[in-house]
Amino acid sequence: MDSKTVVTKETKNKIHVDFDGKLTLKERILYKLKTSNTWMKVIVNIFRFVLMLGVSYVIIFPFVSKIANSFMTLDDIVDATVSLIPKNFTFDNYKYIFLENDYMTAFGNTLLLSSTTALIQTFVSCLVGYGLAKFKFKGNNFVFVLVVVIMIIPHSTLELAMRDFFTKFDLLLPASMDQSTKGIIELIAGTRPSIRDTMAPFYVLSIGGLAFKNGLYIYLMRQFFKGVPDELEESAYVDGSGTFRTFLQIILPLSIPMMITVFLFSFSWSWTDVFYRDVFFEGLNAPWMLSNLIEKVPPTLNMVNNQAMPLYRIAIQNTAGLMIIAPLVIMYLFCQRYLVQGIERSGLVG
Amino acid sequence: MSNKFTDACKSFFDSVKSKFTSKSSEKAVGGEALAIEGGNTFFDKVKAFFKPKRSLDKTKARAGYFFVLPFLLGIVLIYLPILFDSIWYSFTVSTKGASVWDESLGQYVQTQVTTFVGFDNYVQAFSDQDFYAKLLSSLQQILFQVPAIVIFSLFIAVVLNQKMLGRAVFRAIFFVPVIISTGVMEIVNLNDSLQSGAGEGIDDGTGGQGGSEIISMLDVQALFANMKIGTELVTYVVGLVNDIYSIINYSGVQMLIFLAGLQSISPSIYEACQIEGATGWETFWKVTFPMISPMILVNAIYTVIDAFTRTNNPAMNYASNQAYHNPIPGVGVAMSWIYFLLVALIIAVVGAIASSFVFYQRRD
Repeated sequence: MDSKTVVTKETKNKIHVDFDGKLTLKERILYKLKTSNTWMKVIVNIFRFVLMLGVSYVIIFPFVSKIANSFMTLDDIVDATVSLIPKNFTFDNYKYIFLENDYMTAFGNTLLLSSTTALIQTFVSCLVGYGLAKFKFKGNNFVFVLVVVIMIIPHSTLELAMRDFFTKFDLLLPASMDQSTKGIIELIAGTRPSIRDTMAPFYVLSIGGLAFKNGLYIYLMRQFFKGVPDELEESAYVDGSGTFRTFLQIILPLSIPMMITVFLFSFSWSWTDVFYRDVFFEGLNAPWMLSNLIEKVPPTLNMVNNQAMPLYRIAIQNTAGLMIIAPLVIMYLFCQRYLVQGIERSGLVG
Repeated sequence: MSNKFTDACKSFFDSVKSKFTSKSSEKAVGGEALAIEGGNTFFDKVKAFFKPKRSLDKTKARAGYFFVLPFLLGIVLIYLPILFDSIWYSFTVSTKGASVWDESLGQYVQTQVTTFVGFDNYVQAFSDQDFYAKLLSSLQQILFQVPAIVIFSLFIAVVLNQKMLGRAVFRAIFFVPVIISTGVMEIVNLNDSLQSGAGEGIDDGTGGQGGSEIISMLDVQALFANMKIGTELVTYVVGLVNDIYSIINYSGVQMLIFLAGLQSISPSIYEACQIEGATGWETFWKVTFPMISPMILVNAIYTVIDAFTRTNNPAMNYASNQAYHNPIPGVGVAMSWIYFLLVALIIAVVGAIASSFVFYQRRD
């Protein structure tokens, strides 16, 4: 074969090598197919593709069926012959949830809460993660153990205590001790205010790096910063930049993909959150959140006398669920690129 | 030109230098040399207190404290009080005391008498048969799901890491559950499946019988029944197949972590494998698996944590329900602490097992 190799010079920087000029394209394909490796590759590829398709189906199908359900009237839902394609196409479910359940207020409240807490959480876990990854100080490992501890003690264990803590809000002092000792807030303000039914508890927890899954965010950030080479900062220090300036001007811009990942997690988990809403928002004055939508059937759609009402209620709930996640889906479509990128670039090391 | 410039600079610096040296020598003559170098005046001392000369390590250590400060403050000011309360509740019983006139409110206020009862709440929690059953089933669920989720997410991450048709689309789809199927959607899905009486077919998350039309539980069982591999394994596999929806849903973060780990393996190692003629199978077990093993440890622990902090966890739900509806809230809190301790034990065991085979690449 080698003897027939023809090398021709096409342009100044380009050569064209013709290996064995005799073989035509057809012959070459046939030759390739004869080797068993190619067949294996084709089979593996098909198998892999089908498998991925199957798993994707399991993930996507519930949403498809929910979407189909959301356009059905009560008659369609009862009708066993109707599945996936509604006979009487209707927007009523969406319309009445939107109008009668006050979707816009809920959306505004949730957007405000989720975006601010997610921003605070991202920034705080960025700070803490950077401190843990790049600085050797006494107790560094101990602080990391604390991060793991807040990760593994579930907040449902602390539920009751957390509720009491924010009902008689004071820093440094447990809620059960309220007779003689005074905490920081009481010394300043004179009373222990209740900050439940406001968004304050979420902010307090976020600033302290203690909100939902904050341990995970700090861990992700720490691993990310461990992968950033020390030479970057060293050269900045040599050039006379201080620690904080280095952090703000060199490290932060680098970590944007990871920050987007953390932001996305924190934003979407607080968007769909139910647990903290139940703990902190109990009274009538509590903000109306998106996750409240699934609990209330719009009065117009509530046909109490109908036998099929329980079934229909589930369909309404599904529709409400879709309306809750719709903004998230739109956001995810724009951000999913960064989600993988951020983690990939981090080069996480256990 | 450059010579002229440097010469000019030199002469300039020399003149500046000579000025300074002459000044200091003058002062040294005056007997005030220490004041300049050591900082003897009051003002210098104050300055030295606020801006002392430190080594770089010390400065960096202080900066490190500053960076973790929000978290440390959070722990001390918020977390410890809450933690204390939670533990305190589990050891106490509060009963209604006498009504006391409250001046500021202008009405009678019910006082609460809190008594320390030691481990009574814990004993009571253990004697609760319902809790016992829920605890067992929860732990069983965790032990069942953890290996399945870790293996599944590793497998999917390995596949997603390869070049294939539509990889970007599949990646986007696979992380949908992490973002969307949480919190309120879990409740929606649960109600959905309860309503349509799932349990006969495979739970595909639609709640309908969509899954069971394609393949039913009985088929799966029949498939494995003739294999003579023991009933335990059959029930395990059948359980996994039944749980496929939740397994896929709960392996999103793990997949991300595995993908990150896979990306951090140097391509040159794979190149070397290819040159040496290793098959894909060999490459996976001899290169990928050891290199990814720290991630397996992380993911195993994360999965345990995730599984038991989940909101739809039966034991946790029961415990928090008890905390609100039991006349003694302490019992519910005690239950959740018992559960936490058991899971902490599981985490320790999983960590110990996994870390025994973890391989850390030396990075020099």
